[in-house]
Amino acid sequence: MIPIESESKTKDGTPVVYISKENLIPFMKEKKDEGYDMLLMVTGVDYVDHLEVVYHLLSTKDGRRLLVKTKTDEEVDSVTGIWPGANWHERETYDLVGIRFRNHPNLKRILLPEGWVGHPLRKNYPMDKKQYVNLGEDGEDKVSYDPKEGY
Amino acid sequence: MTDSILLTTLDEALRWGKGKSLWPFTFGLACCAIEMMSAMGPDYDWARFGADVFRDSPRHADLMIVSGTVTKKMAPRIRRLYDQMAFPKYVISMGACASAGGPYVRGYSVVDGVDKVVPVDIYVYGCPPRPEALIQALKQLQDSIASGKVRH
Repeated sequence: MIPIESESKTKDGTPVVYISKENLIPFMKEKKDEGYDMLLMVTGVDYVDHLEVVYHLLSTKDGRRLLVKTKTDEEVDSVTGIWPGANWHERETYDLVGIRFRNHPNLKRILLPEGWVGHPLRKNYPMDKKQYVNLGEDGEDKVSYDPKEGY
Repeated sequence: MTDSILLTTLDEALRWGKGKSLWPFTFGLACCAIEMMSAMGPDYDWARFGADVFRDSPRHADLMIVSGTVTKKMAPRIRRLYDQMAFPKYVISMGACASAGGPYVRGYSVVDGVDKVVPVDIYVYGCPPRPEALIQALKQLQDSIASGKVRH
């Protein structure tokens, strides 16, 4: 049995489980064996003093749902080995919230152009420092702080 | 026609023809594209006004309808597609987002107006504009082309 940090329920009765990031992978494997065969969503939250990763699980056989939350500083293990569908969700969470997933097969930006500085959904993201994007000669994205060099 | 005279110049006839044979470029970027599709669909049917052949290639098209939010990543690609269009070419900026950034103007990833990227001939207001508004913009553009106000 893997120790859980705390347990609660959302307003509509879905159970919420906090798990330490060291126990995340064995806990998720156990949950998959229990019938949670679908990972609906991976997302991240910035609570200023720490970051949190949220996993929404669904059992397609009986419709049970489970929310798994993990507190982290910036790095957490990837669950792509358990649910391959987590790949792009984790890339999006990395892109916008800046959580690095260890052992991810292809951890790079998915929405913002390559070379973008910072992660925009962080509370400390500087909104007044605008970045501008243009295309290079080979069709690659070029990002700069100079308004003359892009749109 | 047999007992009347039609007076025109070659230039005027050419401009009249240009206005009545616009080939729009499908350029749906956000929810405005749904209204654009509705305008070309059977309910509003803007094929009646001579702009029915929606093209997927910029080389076939001469009217670009920018319908939706222009993101910073998309903007250089819009410029590249605009450069690939053959002359004569016209641009309609559809809706608040394409015209001025709309509700997302303070976001980190949105260009405040497609006129920063390509020259715009007609702006359509609304969020999103109704298909009638887009049809009015098309008629206005056709009249401007026919009267020689817009030349490209």
